[in-house]
Amino acid sequence: MASVVELRPRAREDFTASLGMVVFLASWAMMFSTLFFAYAFVRARATVWPPPGAPVLPIGLPALNTAVLLASSFTFARGLSTLRRGARSSLPVWVALTFLLGAVFLGLQVQVWLSLSRAGLHLNTGGIYGSAFYAMTTFHALHVAVGLLILGWVFIQALRGKYSEHNQVKVQLCTMFWHFVDVVWILMFLTLYVL
Amino acid sequence: MELQHIHPEPTSFLKRYVFSEDHKYIAKQFIWAGLLFLLFGGILAMAIRWQWAYPGREVPAVGKLLLPRSGGVITPAAYQTVFTMHGLIMIFFAITPLLIGAFGNYCIPLMIGARDMAFPKLNMLSFWIFVLSQLMVLASFGMQLGSAGAGWTTYPPLSTNVGTPGHGQTLVIASLFVTGIATIMGGINYVTTVIRLRAPGMTYMRMPLTVWGLWLTAILNVLFVPVLGSAGLLLIFDRTFGTEFFVAGAAGGKGDPILFQHLFWIFGHPEVYILILPAWGIVSDLVSFFARKPAYWYKGSVYAMIAVTVLSAVVYGHHMFVTGMNPLLGQGFMLFTLIISVPAEILFLNWLHTIWKGSIRLTVPMLFALGMVFVFGLGGLTGIFLGTISTDLYLHDTMFVVGHFHFTMAAASFIASFAALYFWFPKMFGREMNQTLGKLHFWSSIITITLVFGGQMIAGYSGQQRRLWDPYQYTFLEHLRGLNKATSHAAFALGLSQIFFIVNFFQSIFAGKKAEKNPWKVGTLEWELPSPPPYHNFDVVPTVVRGPHEYANPEVMKLLGRDWLNQTEQLPEASAAAGEEETGKAAAGA
Repeated sequence: MASVVELRPRAREDFTASLGMVVFLASWAMMFSTLFFAYAFVRARATVWPPPGAPVLPIGLPALNTAVLLASSFTFARGLSTLRRGARSSLPVWVALTFLLGAVFLGLQVQVWLSLSRAGLHLNTGGIYGSAFYAMTTFHALHVAVGLLILGWVFIQALRGKYSEHNQVKVQLCTMFWHFVDVVWILMFLTLYVL
Repeated sequence: MELQHIHPEPTSFLKRYVFSEDHKYIAKQFIWAGLLFLLFGGILAMAIRWQWAYPGREVPAVGKLLLPRSGGVITPAAYQTVFTMHGLIMIFFAITPLLIGAFGNYCIPLMIGARDMAFPKLNMLSFWIFVLSQLMVLASFGMQLGSAGAGWTTYPPLSTNVGTPGHGQTLVIASLFVTGIATIMGGINYVTTVIRLRAPGMTYMRMPLTVWGLWLTAILNVLFVPVLGSAGLLLIFDRTFGTEFFVAGAAGGKGDPILFQHLFWIFGHPEVYILILPAWGIVSDLVSFFARKPAYWYKGSVYAMIAVTVLSAVVYGHHMFVTGMNPLLGQGFMLFTLIISVPAEILFLNWLHTIWKGSIRLTVPMLFALGMVFVFGLGGLTGIFLGTISTDLYLHDTMFVVGHFHFTMAAASFIASFAALYFWFPKMFGREMNQTLGKLHFWSSIITITLVFGGQMIAGYSGQQRRLWDPYQYTFLEHLRGLNKATSHAAFALGLSQIFFIVNFFQSIFAGKKAEKNPWKVGTLEWELPSPPPYHNFDVVPTVVRGPHEYANPEVMKLLGRDWLNQTEQLPEASAAAGEEETGKAAAGA
């Protein structure tokens, strides 16, 4: 009521927005959890994994790719923190760098798919092994692709000077999504390639 | 929270009547969308009942029109589609929009003292994405080989390309994914709105139980609808891209159809509570409002609903006792399932305690609320037979299951929706509904509902499996023909009695008596606003000073001469005390 003096109205609204984002990401985490559940279910029942005759998944390139995506999370976080400190002009640079690393991730991911496809692992003939691998990585890659679109939009808005230390919640929401995609990937890398 | 700005009402036609961001208008849109599909799903139910009463006979009136190729007879393939789509439409496209879409949108901001949802634009998108999913369902009927036919649970192998090769099945699974997105968007809004936009003084323990039910439902929706989304996605992968998640053995794959059952019920069991929690909340409030008594053990009801919300995530295995599940796991699921009846029982006893010695006003919403208590009691008690492994092994996949979940999901959820509709109608549309037609609607519905689903239970207990196209092909079911016929006639009566509602609804919208601000004399926030409320709800965001059920307080009756208090109303203590002082002085002077 009127007796409550609001000192930082914007901060309240920003908090509401980021809470909404947290709820959304919790929901999306359940979506990925379902995929992991399905994978665990299949894997736990398999006597041999990978099934005889199926190519073994590579580890080097995906590990490198994990590092690339981790680095992109770092650059985006760095961009947000510099913006919060008031360095508006450096935001587009960090965002562009993040975009670039994300694009490299997707490129390397395609490379992994192609090499496995050449080795004889296909989506529709690879049995449950191929199904699980391709479905999970594709679903994640789609999220990276959406993330790239968002990054492109943030980049354009940042160039036009739409963000400042007082108006940064949208950038913050985007970083939250990007970190989420990153964390999911680390879990996916560990599950699919390492375990 | 003066920070919720007052936005001016938009003037353009599109922003006002189509892509409205006003939660009250979106609620009405959901009502229309839900009621239309309720009618659709109801007609499909009539078709199923016709088939069970007169298998192989031409459907009267509309048969030739809808099924020209078979001369109006429901063929086995058409029958598959009919019962599948009846289930899916009722659950996802009728109850969900009515109970959660409409009343969630309408009640949450008004009852917690907010000017709108936390994210109005997301709210608008949620409705239109929902409409898109409904259109996909309608389009599926136009596909070659018709709409989905693998049962509402969409179990593989029936739901793989081998069992249902048509594109209709794929389209329906996709529509579930899309409707899931709409539900999640709504859920994000509800969860955030309740956390962030409660009016000053509206603590969690002062929220109406309706809001509690809707909020917990929103949490479950946000967490478990994505599981269905993922399962549907994998099924679509299997159907269109040739993956083999749910394809087993002979077909060459190493996948497992049982995996789908796991994924489906991890979602599916919370879904059952998603549909009943708002009903519980609404009924908990209504019995208090119309018994003119505070809700008995309010906090107990809240804790019980929270307990159900948490437990609902760990009971799903009771749908799968016959899948060859590890017996130890089965026992665990049975244990949790039976434990969940404890909080449900607490709620039930709280309702009875609230009514006990109350001065009950048998208005139409109260009748429906009491009706919900009745049918939920029947559904809940029979659920214990199904949660127990030894009895479930016999009853699984029989009409007993059908009767049980119709009592809880269909009867209880819909009756609560009607209770809510009759109760909030004056606030929503600014007009009152006809009480006589409402009472006719109630009595004709409650009697026939009990007969229909009771009849199903008896048939199931006698061994009739669910989903049979012609049960009487089996000689051991031949003697149930009479029972099924009687049940079908009760179902037709149930269908016809909805005419009372349809007539009443339209008549009241256009020609009902103008409603006053607070026709039911209750104290929650929305009843302090004009009917219908202005665009921004509250001119001044109210300060709440008490819980939602302040009735029959003797002190209030003495001071104000009425038996209820608004949630924002300050008792005139000061003036009363001053008054007493003056009379005291006068007495002393004399």
